[in-house]
This record gives sequence, structure tokens and C-alpha cells, in this order.
Amino acid sequence: MKPKEDNLEKNISRLVKLAGDADKPSGAFVDSVREDALDELKTSGAGAKREKREKSAKSKWVKIFAYAASILIVCGLVIELTMPSLQRVRERMGKARLSAKIANLESYVSSKPVTVVAGPSDKSSLPKSGRSISNFNGNHAASDRVIVRADSSDTSPPPPAKPEARFVGTPRSTRKPIALKEAKKGYEVALGTRKSGEAGSLIRYRKPERGPRGYPMAHGGTTPPNGEDVDAMFFKNYGVNPFVDTEDDHLSTFATDVDTGSYTVVRRYLHDGHLPPEKAVRVEEFVNYFNYRYAAPQEDTFTVYAEAAPWRFGTGRKNSYLLRLGLKGKQVSEESRKPAILTFVIDVSGSMKRENRLGLVKRSLRMLVEKLRGEDRIGIAVYGSRGRKEMDHRGLYEKAEILAVIESLQASGSTYAEEGIRIGYEMAENAYRRGHINRVILCSDGVANVGRTGADDILEIIKKKAEKGITLSVIGFGMGNYNDVLLERLGDKGNGHYIYIDTIAEARRVFEDNLTGTLQVIGRDVKIQVDFNPDVVRSYRLIGYENRDVPDEKFRDDKYDGGEIGAGHSVTALYELKLWPDKEGTVATTYVRYKHADTRAVTEFKSRIAVGDFDKNFDGSSSEFKLAATVAEFAEILRKSYWAKGATLDRVLERAQQLSREFEDDADVIELVDLISKTEKLMKKTAVEPDEAGESEDEFLRP
Amino acid sequence: MWREFLNREIPQLYGMFMRRWPNPSLAEELVQKTIFDAVRGCDSYEPTKGSPEEWIFGIARNNIRLEMRKRASRPSVDGDISSYVETIDSEPLPDEVLEQKETAAFVKAALAGLASKEQNVLRAKYIEDLSARDIGRRLGITEKAVHSLLYRARISLRRELERMAPADKKG
Repeated sequence: MKPKEDNLEKNISRLVKLAGDADKPSGAFVDSVREDALDELKTSGAGAKREKREKSAKSKWVKIFAYAASILIVCGLVIELTMPSLQRVRERMGKARLSAKIANLESYVSSKPVTVVAGPSDKSSLPKSGRSISNFNGNHAASDRVIVRADSSDTSPPPPAKPEARFVGTPRSTRKPIALKEAKKGYEVALGTRKSGEAGSLIRYRKPERGPRGYPMAHGGTTPPNGEDVDAMFFKNYGVNPFVDTEDDHLSTFATDVDTGSYTVVRRYLHDGHLPPEKAVRVEEFVNYFNYRYAAPQEDTFTVYAEAAPWRFGTGRKNSYLLRLGLKGKQVSEESRKPAILTFVIDVSGSMKRENRLGLVKRSLRMLVEKLRGEDRIGIAVYGSRGRKEMDHRGLYEKAEILAVIESLQASGSTYAEEGIRIGYEMAENAYRRGHINRVILCSDGVANVGRTGADDILEIIKKKAEKGITLSVIGFGMGNYNDVLLERLGDKGNGHYIYIDTIAEARRVFEDNLTGTLQVIGRDVKIQVDFNPDVVRSYRLIGYENRDVPDEKFRDDKYDGGEIGAGHSVTALYELKLWPDKEGTVATTYVRYKHADTRAVTEFKSRIAVGDFDKNFDGSSSEFKLAATVAEFAEILRKSYWAKGATLDRVLERAQQLSREFEDDADVIELVDLISKTEKLMKKTAVEPDEAGESEDEFLRP
Repeated sequence: MWREFLNREIPQLYGMFMRRWPNPSLAEELVQKTIFDAVRGCDSYEPTKGSPEEWIFGIARNNIRLEMRKRASRPSVDGDISSYVETIDSEPLPDEVLEQKETAAFVKAALAGLASKEQNVLRAKYIEDLSARDIGRRLGITEKAVHSLLYRARISLRRELERMAPADKKG
């Protein structure tokens, strides 16, 4: 049949079908699908499958043996080679652990020495602050007052790059299959020879190799950022906010965060069949990934929405309430967006070759270029072993040339991020124009292994330029040796934001569907302070935002860094509340303070929520409220929050399924259902394996 | 066991897809895909984690998700069926157009304008999903005659749609 006739037939077929009975498939269709399916079952029958399985099991054992043997040899070699430095590293471990604890307490890395009062709540500098609820998490055990200089020179310097890189290769981690898979990757890089096999086969060799917790597996030759716990290299554990008595501290202050990177990173883990490490989960980024359909304000820059309802989290606590605060920014239409001057700094180091990361970067950029307008300008800097300028700023009128440059990028060499970023910023400065969006966009997997790799040096440059009005967006690509901590901090410092792109669909979400929001900032240094009424509220807990804490008295300090919010973006914060029985009146007053994006004029406004505004029960709350609660509960379970004790995924899954019917047109919610059920399966699977959670990192230090 | 399961689930899945996108041909496509995903991946089913129904609905939901993603990447559709009639023999109609309520009414009206013989053969072929041989048996003609009748019926329907389209636009 000719193609033309083919199309006609197909279209007619589809049209005529519309005239049929809407809800039932035709009998013939059911028969044919069923028979085909039964045929398929027969041909790929059970017998054939079993055979296949046995075969693969056999080859698996051979592989395992080969791996085990090579690992033993390599271990021997590595120990031989690194004996002196191993000794040093061990000594340093003690120091590193202390400094890691300290590092856990920093909300931000600041160039100035600051005083931080430790305590899980991190209610800095308030004498009465944060009851010392010691954290369930082993590596966040600090509870006393500690004076910290957040100056990097106080923490231990990064170990020399070379021995470290070799050391990395030893499979010492016990962090479940993920670690092993990553271990293998680190291994590949260190030795440059190993061919990748199946992750499944590697899981087996864990036992003989089972060592203490705690060596960086995944970074393929990177030195750790200064002062970080070596174990907490890629994801940093910021702890979990505790319940705070309003009598101790009735103010809760935090910087807004519109990032969603954590959710996409975790999604990637789950799709790869692994549970994410707990510290990869930042609840607020999960919550903010979803669209709660807040109406955008017409005249004001921001509006606040509040809703509260009784809530039971797990089985542990009764009589608690969930308060949802939503901050929604005004929309800016595509046409009225300011022209943008974008400087891309693209990581073209060897690590970007993996998983075709650079390919994804290119596709994402092409998508962005298609979406930009003629008066926008793009420049490109790249870095591999050295940083260099790849293309001067050009107007989008020269689209074809820009696309050709993007297409020509090749990945190779090591990673000199510092130089690349510096060159990118120089370019951005030369191209700077007032009244435009001046933005540097860093596309990387976060591995920065040549030069002074501590994040602090890079942070310093970024912070200075941000003050001049050149902001930074950080886009993370890739997995395995992906460095979440570095990228997130860069984004925070650069007054921009941090996005993780795992698939081309996510790129579309960021660059196509919401490009204006991604580029045009409407409010800078946005901070929120919630003043709880101690007569009504007994205690509260901010869910997430652990690394966005702002000291209460800094709320009105306009030099203190807050979050940036793009056009049409929204921020959602959740509080768990306990109320005194039978009280009426104001529950809380919310203050929002921000700087206008262009004029830098400071605005502050407040809104009040009273007991009377509460929904009577959870079922009576809005679908959006339920969605936020469900997402938060999912994230809390994933990060094994102390407060999620007794919460089960079945219930979360059930609720998400109900919600997916209410949010029919929202692919994100449908995907959430999928992710929750994947997590549930993975959790059941890992529960069967011997539990390693109780294993202490101290084991490593024992002689 | 599989036979009963499939007989029960196929209409269920079909209904589920139709509720989301009222487009029978898409629903059929998705049912087919879901069933085959299920059959090929039947090893992954574990009875401890829920009933087979839940399992197959999970696969279906995943397919819905994929379809939504696919749609998100397509340019949005504007205009109704009448603006697509001209390209009906060269390009596939967008699913979104098929899902508009007006489209079904439009097609029903166009079908009604056809000779009854042509109407019958189109319905038998596309709605009842009968083979040419079965249609021939029913109408008392040869298989070959069914094919040429179908060919003519398609052309007639296209002509009828074209005839109605401008009128529809004016109205």
C-alpha cells in the first residue's frame, strides 16, 4: 500500500472508531490481543526462561570470581602504594570527623567568621534556642554549643589529590548496591581499565569486601571539598529540624528555596533501581517540585497562601496539625521578559562522556536556544583539562552558528572547573548590560578535580559577581560521581538556583515550559519569618529547609542572603504544629521580606492565620494540601526522618493513587505514584538483606 | 488462568485509558502495549506485593505517564477537525483532535451521509474489528470485493468530511 493510502486508511480507521461505543473495546480486539499475548507467553515460555536464568547465574559466578580476584590484587597494590598516606588519612579522619560535624552545622559557607550555635535546630545565636534533641542520625550528633569559624582554613585541608584518587578506588563502602555501583565507577577511573559489568553481579562481592562505612566511592579522582566529612562528599546531611517549643522560640525564619534538584536526583536513583542515600533527600525540594496551582497575584509581587488541617504522621504522634504556607510570585509573560545575556560554562571533561551526559547537555541547550529570542545573547566557555573561551557572546540572530558551536563540543581530559568558571565570569562581565538578565549557567556533573578544588574559592568569585548582578544557575547532569553538595551550594551563593536534569523531559520542563521563570528573577533575598502565637501553638517543626535556616534576628538584615524567586515560581513550606487544647485566635503571623529584583527596594508584608481557618479534618482539606502532605511524607520516609517513625509507604502510596485521579492532567503526580511504588518495592527488598544501618562509622577507626 | 485474567482485564484497561483520553484507537494501542509489557515482564510480578490486577494497573499507569510525556513534547494543537480534513490523506491526525467532543459528532454526521452499504462495511471493519473474510461472509461477497468496497467507502467518507468542513467552519 502506498504511504498516502496508508495514512488515509489509518485516519479513517481512527475516525470511524469514534462513532462506536465509547467504553468497551470490540470483542474482536479483545480476542486478538488475548491470543497474541497467549502466543507470546508460549514462545517465551517458562522453560526457556529458567534455562536463561541458570545460564546467567553461572556467568554471574564467573564474573564475581573474576571481580573478587582483581579486587584483592588491586587492594594489595593500593595498600602498598598508599601505606604512608593511609596512615596520614587515618590520623586526619579523626579531625575530619570533628570538622564534618562542624560542617553539618553551617547553613552557608560564609567568607566572614560567623558564630553559630549548634544544635539540630540551628536556631543560631538565640540563647534559648533549640532544645537539644539529639539526632537519630549518627553523623549528626552535635548538640552542644560550639563556636564555629566558617572559615575554610580552620577545617582540615583537602588531602593531596593523587593518593586520594587511588584510595578512592578501594571498594570499602557498604552503602548498599548504589555504593557498589559507584564503587565500580570510581574504580574504573582510578585504574582506567575495568569494563563495566552488571551491577547485580557486583552486589555479591560485597560480603568479603565488607568494610566499615565511609569512603568516598563515587568521585573518580576528585578531592573532597574542604572540611567535608569524607563520607558526606556528594550529598551532605543537614540533619532534620526538631520540634521547637514556642516558649523557647516562637520565631521560625528561613530563606526560600525554589530548587528541585533533590527530587530529580532521587528519581534517577529510583529509576536505576536503587534507594537514594538519605542525605540526597531535601524535603523542601521534593515539595517544591510539584505544582499546587496557587493563583498568581495580579498587582503585588507575591502573595501568601495558608492552609492547615489535622494530620497524622505515621503512628507516633496524635493531635498534630499540618500547616502549609505557599508563596506565589507574579507571572511575567514571555513577551515582557527582559532580554537575557547568558554565559554557558560547560564541563567537557572526560567524566561528561559517561552516560552521554554531554549529549544531554547539548540537547538541553539546543532546546533552550530554540526558545530564546533574537535580542538575547549567548556566550560559551568550556573547561576540561584547561578552561577556555569557546564562543564570544552572539545575538540569537545567529542561531545557526550558536547551534554549530554547541554541536561541536567534545568531552575529554580532566576537570578544571575553577578556571572555566573564572573565564565564564570574565566573559559575562564584558557582556554585562544593565536592565538585562545577566546569568552564568554552569552545566556540570559537579566534579572539580584540578586546581584548588575546595568549593570555597569558586564560591568566593561567584558571590562577588552576584552582588554586581551576574547570577548563576547551576544545572547538574549525570550520576555516579555526581556532586550534589558542590552544585547546590554554588547555586545558592550565586543568587541563582540549582536544577538537576536527569532526562530530556526534565530539560523541557525547565527550558521550554517555564523558561521565563527560570531566567527572570522577581524577588531577591526572599526570607520568610513565621511568628507563632505561644498561647495557641505549643510547638512546631519546620519540615525541610534545614540548610536554609536564617537566624531570627537576621530577618530584617537586608545584607543577609535569602532565596531568589523567578517569575511565576512558588515556594511551599510545611510546618507540623501542636496546639494547646481548645484555644482560639491567631495561630501564626507570616512575614515575607524581599528585595525588588531591579530597584532593590525592600518590601515586607505579613499575613495572619487563625484557628478558625483550619480545616476540620484532613479529608476536608484541598487536594493540593493533600498532595503537599503526601510528598513530604514520602520524602521524610526516604530520608528516614526521626519524625517519620511508624509512617508506612503503603498509606502514602494509597493516598498518592487517590490524588493521581484528582490531578489527572499532571504527569508529575502520576509519576509520583510510580516512584512511591518503586521505593516500596526497593525497601522491601533491602529489608530482607542483612541490615547495615546499625553499623557505625567508628568501625573504620578501630585498629 | 491467563486467558481469564486477560478477558477480564482488557476491557478494564481499555476503560481506564478511554477515561483519560476518549480516543478508541489510542486506547487500543495502549491496551496492547500494556498487555505486552505485562506478558514480557511477567517474571517481575511478585504475589507478595499485591494482586495481579494492581500489578497490571501499575504497568498501565506507567504507560499513561509515558504517553503524557510524549504529549508534552509535541506542539499543542489548535483548531478542530475541519482544519485537518485537507491533510487527512497525507498526515496522521493529532490525537488531541480526535479527543475533541465535536470530532465524534462530526464523524457520526459524515457517516450518516454515506450509502448504507458503505456505512456498514466501515463499521464492521473499524468498530467491530472484523476481518475482511468475516465481513464478506456477512455481506455475501468475496474478500476481494470487501477490500474494494472498503476502499471506496474510505474515499466517500473523506469526501463527505471535506464537504462538511467548510460549512462547519462557517457555523
